[in-house]
Amino acid sequence: MAEHTVVFDAAAEVSVPRGTLLADAARKAGVEISQPCGGQGRCGRCAVKVTKDGVRRRSTLRLSAEDVEAGYALACQTVVEGDTEVTVPAQEKIARLLTTDRTVAQVQVPTGYSAAADQTIKRFGLTLTPPSMVDQTDDWSRFTAGLRQQAGIELGHISLPLMRQLGAVLREGEWQVTVVLDLAEEAAPRLIAALPGLLPDSAPLWGAAVDIGTTTVSLWLVDLLSGEVQVQTAEYNRQISRGEDVISRIIYGSKNDGGQEMRGLVLESIGQLLERGCRRAKIDASEVMKMTIVGNSTMMHLLLGIPAASIRLSPFVTAVNQVPPFRAEDVGIGIHPEATVDCIPGIASYVGADITAGVLSSGMDDTESISLFIDIGTNGEIVLGSHDWLVTCACSAGPAFEGAGVMHGMRATRGAIEEVWINGSTYEPSFRVIGGGQPQGVCGSGLLALLAEMFLTGILDKGGNLNSSLPTDRVREGEHGLEYVISWGHETKNGDGPANDIVITRVDVDNLIRAKASIYAGFTILADSVGFPLEAVDQVLVGGSFGKYINVEKAVQIGLLPDMPWEGFQFLGNTAVKGAYLALLDKHARARISDIASRMTYIELSADNSFFEAFTSALFLPHTDMDRFPTVAKALQPELETEE
Amino acid sequence: MALSGIQIYKMLPRTNCKDCGFPTCLAFAMKLAAKQVELALCPHVSDESKAELAESSAPPIRLVTLSANGNSVKAGNEVVMFRHEKTFYNMPGLFLRVKDDLSPEAIKAAIAPAEAFKVNYVGIDLTMDGFAVESVSGDPATFAAAVKATRGATKRPLVLISGDAAVMAAGLEQLDGEAPLICSANSDNWEAMADLAKSHKAALTVSATSLDELAELTGKISAKGVEDLVLDPAFRQLNSSLIAATQIRRLALRKNFRALGYPMITFPGDAGDVGRVSVQAAQAIAKYAGFVVIDEFLPEMVYPLLVLRQNIYTDPQKPIQVQPGLYEINNPTADSPLLVTTNFSITYFSVANEVEGAGLPAWLLVTEAEGMSVLTAWAAGKFDSERIAKDVKRFGVAEKINKKQIVLPGHVAVLSGELEEDMPGWEIRVGPREAVDLPGFMRDAL
Amino acid sequence: MPIEIPKDKWPGSVREITLGATAADGGTRTSTVTVGGEKALPYMHFEAQMPHKPVIALEIRDRLPDDWSTLLLEHWGDTAKDPAAWAKAAEATGVELLQLTLSLTDADGNPNTPENAVAVVKSVLAATGLPLLVFGTGQAEMDNVLLVAVAEATQGERLVLGICEDKNYRTIVAAAMANGHLVNGRTPMDVNLSKQLNILISDMGLPMDRILMDPTTGALGYGIEYGFSVMERLRMAALQGDSMTQQPMLVTPGFEAWKTKESKVGKDVPAEWGDWLKRAIHWETMTATALIESGADIVVLRHPESVKRIRVAIDELSAVPEMA
Repeated sequence: MAEHTVVFDAAAEVSVPRGTLLADAARKAGVEISQPCGGQGRCGRCAVKVTKDGVRRRSTLRLSAEDVEAGYALACQTVVEGDTEVTVPAQEKIARLLTTDRTVAQVQVPTGYSAAADQTIKRFGLTLTPPSMVDQTDDWSRFTAGLRQQAGIELGHISLPLMRQLGAVLREGEWQVTVVLDLAEEAAPRLIAALPGLLPDSAPLWGAAVDIGTTTVSLWLVDLLSGEVQVQTAEYNRQISRGEDVISRIIYGSKNDGGQEMRGLVLESIGQLLERGCRRAKIDASEVMKMTIVGNSTMMHLLLGIPAASIRLSPFVTAVNQVPPFRAEDVGIGIHPEATVDCIPGIASYVGADITAGVLSSGMDDTESISLFIDIGTNGEIVLGSHDWLVTCACSAGPAFEGAGVMHGMRATRGAIEEVWINGSTYEPSFRVIGGGQPQGVCGSGLLALLAEMFLTGILDKGGNLNSSLPTDRVREGEHGLEYVISWGHETKNGDGPANDIVITRVDVDNLIRAKASIYAGFTILADSVGFPLEAVDQVLVGGSFGKYINVEKAVQIGLLPDMPWEGFQFLGNTAVKGAYLALLDKHARARISDIASRMTYIELSADNSFFEAFTSALFLPHTDMDRFPTVAKALQPELETEE
Repeated sequence: MALSGIQIYKMLPRTNCKDCGFPTCLAFAMKLAAKQVELALCPHVSDESKAELAESSAPPIRLVTLSANGNSVKAGNEVVMFRHEKTFYNMPGLFLRVKDDLSPEAIKAAIAPAEAFKVNYVGIDLTMDGFAVESVSGDPATFAAAVKATRGATKRPLVLISGDAAVMAAGLEQLDGEAPLICSANSDNWEAMADLAKSHKAALTVSATSLDELAELTGKISAKGVEDLVLDPAFRQLNSSLIAATQIRRLALRKNFRALGYPMITFPGDAGDVGRVSVQAAQAIAKYAGFVVIDEFLPEMVYPLLVLRQNIYTDPQKPIQVQPGLYEINNPTADSPLLVTTNFSITYFSVANEVEGAGLPAWLLVTEAEGMSVLTAWAAGKFDSERIAKDVKRFGVAEKINKKQIVLPGHVAVLSGELEEDMPGWEIRVGPREAVDLPGFMRDAL
Repeated sequence: MPIEIPKDKWPGSVREITLGATAADGGTRTSTVTVGGEKALPYMHFEAQMPHKPVIALEIRDRLPDDWSTLLLEHWGDTAKDPAAWAKAAEATGVELLQLTLSLTDADGNPNTPENAVAVVKSVLAATGLPLLVFGTGQAEMDNVLLVAVAEATQGERLVLGICEDKNYRTIVAAAMANGHLVNGRTPMDVNLSKQLNILISDMGLPMDRILMDPTTGALGYGIEYGFSVMERLRMAALQGDSMTQQPMLVTPGFEAWKTKESKVGKDVPAEWGDWLKRAIHWETMTATALIESGADIVVLRHPESVKRIRVAIDELSAVPEMA
């Protein structure tokens, strides 16, 4: 097959066969091109400029005719058909202001926490009698005898590398040694570390709780003795460059070396957080003796390098829901090599450890009252139940409420409109922008507010159609049909480029309504599956970073959350990492998670039509069945009267 | 009464031991509630719960099976009044009736085309289920000869019709080792008919014109040990037969009224006029019949009846799908564009409506994706280039169009590369992601 | 002891809707048709009296259709070339209603015009005294132009204007509202969508007794089971008291059945399909039968033989039976 030369940025040159994707050519040339959608041609962010044309564009989705005219092409959708020169635009610098970093709340150590009673990682100082001509006991026996006599512990497991170092450690510490043990398996304690010399009792014993989110990875550094969280830090999951959602990542991970690459990327993310956290705590990462990890099932598979392909394919099973503890070195995490890495169990392909941990931290498994717990992210996982029973399901809400898949959507960073009000007679909006200043787009909470306001002011009818007959120029015909202008171009800052109006289109509205319908349908199906009326739920617990900024009233008005008294709602923030923290500290909490995982019943929504029914029913503002939303019906009443 | 998952759960041990093969007791309880598993799978359930659950899980309408020569027809075991509540399970058997005033040769000639009838509907071969032989002669020997002639012309299960036990006995002699249905027991002949049914292991139709009388008869007959009963509420009008069928099914399902917990037989053939026969048979299929008997074999009527039966007995819990195939929108020509999407009905409708509404002619290839939408099907691996290429071939798309070009939904732009490999010589175009943008795309970009 | 028959006592009922207006009410029809009012599931006479029988409409077109089965064209012959003549012939089949469908273009391919649509509707109204349903071409922009003109030119007739869909209902509803007509709202075989469209239309202020709902059906063999179940569910919801599902239901088995291959094609089909014309009639009749069993109030048919058979069926079903 013919080979063609591709030159990137007039520097990196590579020869590839005809028909190669530009994105693959770039990788071969060592040029990094971001592909947030995983090369599906969906996001348009891999646009490059072709300066010498030898390409064929399979798809130009998200590029305008002018863009194509100017030479732009999507690297993931464009194939090389001749010698080509390409320039890669400077990657848009991703704003680093993470939502999770915006409100680092003080974490309370669980009441009554006692390292002695609750922690499985234990530290002891041993003082051994040095060997002599009259006591020629071998080092190992001397060590184990000391452990038996001074700590009352019969050692069960030690690794060969530790055995190799033991003699030197004992001598370096002049027969004083600090040992760290994992006592999770009571009959067979495992040696994690033997360190020369003794430490003061007040010295922290380090552990880490990690939540691998599809979008964000969070890490807390914890003193296992006091239980205090010393450092909280979060970073984007580096896998984002290979796909924004789990499906894209599973597909990417199933190709060639994709799995290894995915594993490497998430390990890098964790490594980066460890480095930053340890720097703040002024410790070395090797001092961390235990890490407890939560994450959705896909993230867990990719972290462990276990093939994830079966997760997305019918009948949607994971390779493993519950893994035993591993050594840090085996997992590839740069803490103490012998440290215990405890991966929290998940229960199904789309209900993972982040949810079992979330249930734990919400406390819903420990009370008689019936709770509805929702973790809103790219996937909405929902749990309903009490101490007696728990049912769960996952609905793919899509990333609309995270600002993705919406024309002017963006993450909750500086410049994002996060709250909107619309005047009911002039249809003029006012809004609040994160960080003040001029708006660049709308984030999830802003989109939610916008939807609610447009609905209540009659810009949208209950079916989500825009009303073009209102006396305002803000509702107009756009490229995708009718749209509403939130901010005119001259009010808008959009980098150095031309000033664009910020609009919400009919397609955006449909996307948002689908997202909210999917979540609400999940609620109703779960409730129906056990014959429990949704209205009878005692409390609604909302987790996920989105959950912190949600405006309950508006969320109810659009039918995202059930219509119930406000005092019934609680916003819990990142329940996943909190659950990981609790499990890291307390073996009883850890046992509770196992119990939760073993008794939580997973409802597969695609097993029959009922989800689709509930979904269609919820594809309306606020819902086809108005009886479910009495307060919204009441709010709409005056408007109806004036119309008649 | 049917119990909910939570109600059943409360009767289980609630230990989540997984011995039943399900991850939790609640999961098992929900399967029990849906009648998809047997309680026996739980080794730890208490005797008390067992008794209570058995009561709620006994089939309210008895399953009756007719069989002959390895062929069988089942009726009964239904659990709902309306198919959307769950599904209808056992399709009513369609039988052709012959009478013993015909010569054996004439009987064979009447049966032959119906016996041979086989028509393909969406990949399924539809056929008649069996034949009925009625004595009008009142003569045992004549009836026996007619049954013999019938049995010589078909291997399918039979229904024998005569109110005279002696005649019936002669007919049954011809059907050794089979499980036919005999018609009918009434208040005059029930004892003799019950004895015949018992000695020949035949199912027995019970006929009466009031539900009270029917129930009284079935009670007496089942007390004699004949359990496989079929009801003939002998109404022959659309209104009365609909009401009787509804009341019988309701009593069985809602009141667990055992005396009427049997499948029903109807005789649309009695209506005579083909228009009325077809309407009565259609009603019987839609509304609760277990066996339907017609008198004249007309392929142009039997075919739609069998299709109706197939439709009504489709499981409504499966995703709403359209038939995969190549659809014509606005009378396309060989130069009209080719679009592709999945067979989820809503997806199909939104695409077809947008294009149709815009007045643009197009070919729409609907692929087999198990009724999933484009993104869901793609995520689950049911809408990939291999399947698209296969369906292009299967539906002979290339013969219909001049330009080898196919438009993919924008959501699966990622497939364009693979599709180029799987469909050499085709131009793969990526369309918009939303159906609403299709008309614009077709006008501007195609 | 006699068996106690379980009877359903439903809290709700279907709305009564009157189509067409006589001179006394501001129209020119010689008769009107009232449908709906059911207080029980179809033909359950032992539970509640059925105030109105389902009715049959016959579909005619504003010009000779290009896409109809030749069986139908042969049947109607030259009559189908003149809408007024066709309307008269249709009335003679004994139907209670006529349903006129407008075409996108004239016979030469020129776009239809409001003037032409108005002229055709007026000629049909002049030719028959039956209430009339006027359905558009199915293309939103064209329908909005044609139907507004028709609505204005026939003020007070209580025509049924169609077809409103969730993405295109405002203009037609407004025209009906302003000119004393009714509308038909069509949604694709889904209980929720039917209900949603009723809500959207009623939110505009059109009284509920002027809205028919068309939940759509597939033909026999082409998805009739979905339409069948959706109608059963809608009717149950209505009887249970869900106000937004209490509209009488209109369905178009004629349109659906006559676009199937079984009805359209006579050559090169399996011999097992039997006689073409007889099969086509069965197809239309059985499709309609299933739909009247599941709650249809108005069925729109195309062939007079089907009309005859469904007429017999409706009369038989609607009569209160003498049962022991």
